[in-house]
Amino acid sequence: MPSRRQLAVALGYVAAAAVYIAIGVSYTDFLLSYFVGLGYLLLVAWLVPAGVRRLF
Amino acid sequence: MPLALGSWAPDLMTKWFVYGISIGGLKLKASDPAQFHRGWPGVGFTHSLIFGVVLALILWRVCGSKIWAISFLIGQWAHALTDTGDTVGTMLFFPWTLHIHLNAWAYAGQTGRLRDAGAYFSGLGAVWDAVWIVYGLFSWRVLTRSYFERHIYTADRSWTVMNRVVSVGALLVLYRAAFFYGTSRWIAWTLWAHAIHHYPYDLSWGGPHWVDAAHSPPLTWPQVAGIVGIVTLGLAIALLEHGRRRRARNERVVFPCECGCREVVKLTKAEYQTVGGAWLEGHEPGDDRAPSGA
Repeated sequence: MPSRRQLAVALGYVAAAAVYIAIGVSYTDFLLSYFVGLGYLLLVAWLVPAGVRRLF
Repeated sequence: MPLALGSWAPDLMTKWFVYGISIGGLKLKASDPAQFHRGWPGVGFTHSLIFGVVLALILWRVCGSKIWAISFLIGQWAHALTDTGDTVGTMLFFPWTLHIHLNAWAYAGQTGRLRDAGAYFSGLGAVWDAVWIVYGLFSWRVLTRSYFERHIYTADRSWTVMNRVVSVGALLVLYRAAFFYGTSRWIAWTLWAHAIHHYPYDLSWGGPHWVDAAHSPPLTWPQVAGIVGIVTLGLAIALLEHGRRRRARNERVVFPCECGCREVVKLTKAEYQTVGGAWLEGHEPGDDRAPSGA
């Protein structure tokens, strides 16, 4: 079974996916490129958390 | 990464011309999208096994990485084999221009990007994608940080090179991105097709039948026999090579004893690598019984 920390990470990705899907359904061009998906994920799963950690 | 690159390789430079684009009022689109995408003349050779082998060999030569070449090949072959599932299929054994097709789901690229998406996400193609998503979820351990650090990062030198510029955290996101993108994209297109546009599901063989699918001619018995012959030959060569390698691994080779006594030791290459050299019993470095010079 996954640990609590692993579940928390997975939940973060699920939340990121929910936003990505919501944007993609209303604007399908967002779904076409892997690099757009990668850029989005790097932003929400690495850059923003890293920025928040640096601030607080 | 190379596996993902390989899986995109067949469509990477060509799909835009299948669906068509407009540049400054100029419409660019293949006159026969299915023929262009999967046929010859056309760029259908990008969906062949030989195309993957050629690109993998180039990659091996240029990058000097066997793991990149093999991973790329697996990705490209997976794409070429998966596309045999639709009604047009692929010229898997190019330069033999026969289209191998299982007719499981409709090929509708010629109908345009959105209708093609609607059709694909209403038929067995989407079910086949879902099988891989579920398999990925069951294998969730491969997406964990510990797995990445222990197995992925250490197996491919390019991660170390990238780690000089960005943190392991960013590399982990990069590693997870392909699964994230594939899964999210599948859910989004499914919602778009069924919750927003209400395309009807048709999970029958060859469906959805409400779309005007492109088809390749049915295979004849001599063609099926040819395919079986090629596959059998390929498997036979792979089995023979596997046996040859196993014999070579277990074969005992004569090595001179490294203590300098001029006697010989018979070891397999695996034993030699495990021990880190070849010594007669009692001649190992540090052994009191070893002759002088050891």
